[in-house]
Amino acid sequence: MTDRSTEEATADRPLLEVEDLRTYFYTDRGTVRAVDGVSVSVSAGETVCLVGESGAGKSVTAESITRLIDTPPGDISGTIRFKGRDLTEASERELQSVRGDEIAHVFQNPGEALNPVYTAGRQVAEVLKIHTDLGKAARRERAVDLLDRVGLPNPGTVADTYPHELSGGQKQRVCLAIALAGEPDLLVVDEPTTALDVTVQAGILALLADLQSEFGMAILFVTHDLGVVAQVADEVVVLYAGKVMERGPVEKIFHGAGHPYTRALLACLPGRGGARQSIGGEPPSALDPPDGCRFAPRCAYAVGECHRGGHPDLVPVDGASDHVASCLFHQSGFDRSHIEGDPPEGGDALALDDGDTFARSDDNESPEDEP
Amino acid sequence: MTGNTPPANDTSDAPPANGTSDAPPANGTSDETRSDATRRTFEGIDWERVDAERGLAITRWAAAEALALVGLVALLGYDALVVADGEPTVDVPGVLTWDVTGVQWLFALVLVVGVARVGRLLTRRPRMAARYWRQFRRNRAAVASLWFLLAVFAVGLVGPLVWKNPNELLDFGRAYRKPVVAGGSWTYPLGTDAQGRPLWNLVVYGMRVSMVVGVTATFIAVTLGTVVGSVAAHFGGYVDEVLMRYVDLQQTFPVFVLLLFALYLYGPSLLLVVVLYGAFGWEGIGRLVRSEALQRGEAGYVDAAAAAGASRWWVVRHHVIPNVSGTVITAATLAVPTFVLGEATLAFLGFTDPDVFSWGRTIAAGRGDLATAWWVSTVPGVFLFLTVMAFFFVGDALNDAMDPRRER
Repeated sequence: MTDRSTEEATADRPLLEVEDLRTYFYTDRGTVRAVDGVSVSVSAGETVCLVGESGAGKSVTAESITRLIDTPPGDISGTIRFKGRDLTEASERELQSVRGDEIAHVFQNPGEALNPVYTAGRQVAEVLKIHTDLGKAARRERAVDLLDRVGLPNPGTVADTYPHELSGGQKQRVCLAIALAGEPDLLVVDEPTTALDVTVQAGILALLADLQSEFGMAILFVTHDLGVVAQVADEVVVLYAGKVMERGPVEKIFHGAGHPYTRALLACLPGRGGARQSIGGEPPSALDPPDGCRFAPRCAYAVGECHRGGHPDLVPVDGASDHVASCLFHQSGFDRSHIEGDPPEGGDALALDDGDTFARSDDNESPEDEP
Repeated sequence: MTGNTPPANDTSDAPPANGTSDAPPANGTSDETRSDATRRTFEGIDWERVDAERGLAITRWAAAEALALVGLVALLGYDALVVADGEPTVDVPGVLTWDVTGVQWLFALVLVVGVARVGRLLTRRPRMAARYWRQFRRNRAAVASLWFLLAVFAVGLVGPLVWKNPNELLDFGRAYRKPVVAGGSWTYPLGTDAQGRPLWNLVVYGMRVSMVVGVTATFIAVTLGTVVGSVAAHFGGYVDEVLMRYVDLQQTFPVFVLLLFALYLYGPSLLLVVVLYGAFGWEGIGRLVRSEALQRGEAGYVDAAAAAGASRWWVVRHHVIPNVSGTVITAATLAVPTFVLGEATLAFLGFTDPDVFSWGRTIAAGRGDLATAWWVSTVPGVFLFLTVMAFFFVGDALNDAMDPRRER
């Protein structure tokens, strides 16, 4: 299934290169810029996390890669290079051969992703039926094997089980087996543990790590949960209002975040010492994004310059090319120490003026994650 | 239903253990439906044999359907080409003389296809079928109705081969015999009509008519409705708009008047009634299938199937339609009595073939004698009433049993 020659030819390039991805939705109320110029690259065997609040464009980015977005009303532009091919140019038929076989998806809610009328085994075998020439018996055998690989006890029995007879964690494992059936090079997992409770979540994350080393897949992991990010990520991409705020290796993001937004997100995380701080205000409307930096209206450090022009370009933080942030204060001519200390009192900090700072503590998209 | 797997016994959510197949086989669940299977270890099952059996079960139904269809076509060809016009199709003097009519050919076709499809559906997902049956069985009235309908169906199917055609039993000497309940004799348990024909024979022949009309017209309506509904939901846009506006048109169009007109033009024919009812009676099912298909189209497993590389047609065929089938079966069951009543109404008004002993026609014939011989109209009326009501009971129970929202 994997084309060896193209793989070798592109061995030095990332597996997936998304450049300047723009996914817009044309609605009656105007153009929703869900993803507005996002660039992400994923190398073979690597785990990249897309992090952000609800509505930041994480899921839309992930689904745009294999064009799972309905177009129209959606519209995807930019380049998506996967193993040297540009998927934005690919026909629907080509995309169908990529989906499930080379790029597989695991969705947030395993209860919905499984069809209630088919047994688990049949749903795993379905992918094999679409992408391989295996016979019925061979597909069945392979499906049971996959169910075994994802750590389900009695895989032969589970294969004959309907989704409603499985627990949430078991269902997510079945979804993983379905995703693995095509032996994908890239696994896109969209909040795979959000619908599960914490103990089950730990099991699924451990399983993902095991499977990644076993199958050598790259993983694009979409999540809002920074705790999960710390556990799984090699590389982190912080999204906000359809823009990349910061991108870099996981240690640098957690220990030397360059963007005030990233730091504000980290400050929301419980258990990192100090008082937890929520981010005041709300994410901007995707219909009518603010001028200047998208985060400026909520940024405690924002100055007049931040509210003018377009969103700042990504520039290296500390001169390291693998760690970039789109904050004005990292550009030459600005004093980055401005965003390093405590936020200035009053001044240009618009978000603090409206007294909304402590009014909202539910910016995180799933309140049940709070202890 | 998620309570089937108590968390305490749920070992699967722990980090993956290697060699899970070594685990004690019974620790997985306490689900009663699985207890049977969990007693065996995974290694103990010969999957090749299981698969071979399954493959065979499906091909067996398909083969039976194909074989029966070929046989039917051969018989039809024999009837059309070999047997002369006006001659009966089957003519064994003294045993059986049967001229198979157009509507009976259609009925046979529907029976073959219907039995094969339902059989395949039930054997393919036997545990699902068993669950539906357990749900269905809770409704006592529906179970009784089902038995009644099966009896009516069986008698309607073979009855005319056992009991004589009422027209062969004309005898004015025994007109207006009372039924047993009114103090009559057991010779004619349901009494006789104005021409001395036993009502039992009339009722049996009427069962055949009602079953043919109900089953065949419903089959046509369900086929058209499912195709139109899923096409409209699947393609959307202008296709959807055009098809649904046509459905609106059809809904406001008086089929009954069209039928009266057609019967006036072409003469009374059961085939015409069946085909017209089927061809113009599917709008409700079409609308239902469309809305269900749209709803299912939004389901997570449809996105998941697309993400797994399935084509749009595959998604509709393998994910949307199977999830809509429960709704279709229910809607079909509820459509049958409408067609049965419609045919009876036409017959009551006199738009019927003199050889067709519709219940409606018998009711109409007896209505002048209601004061003196109430049973002539009442007996077929009771059967019509019970049949229609039984279909509604069964449809209602099916609706409760197969509602996919209860499976979560």
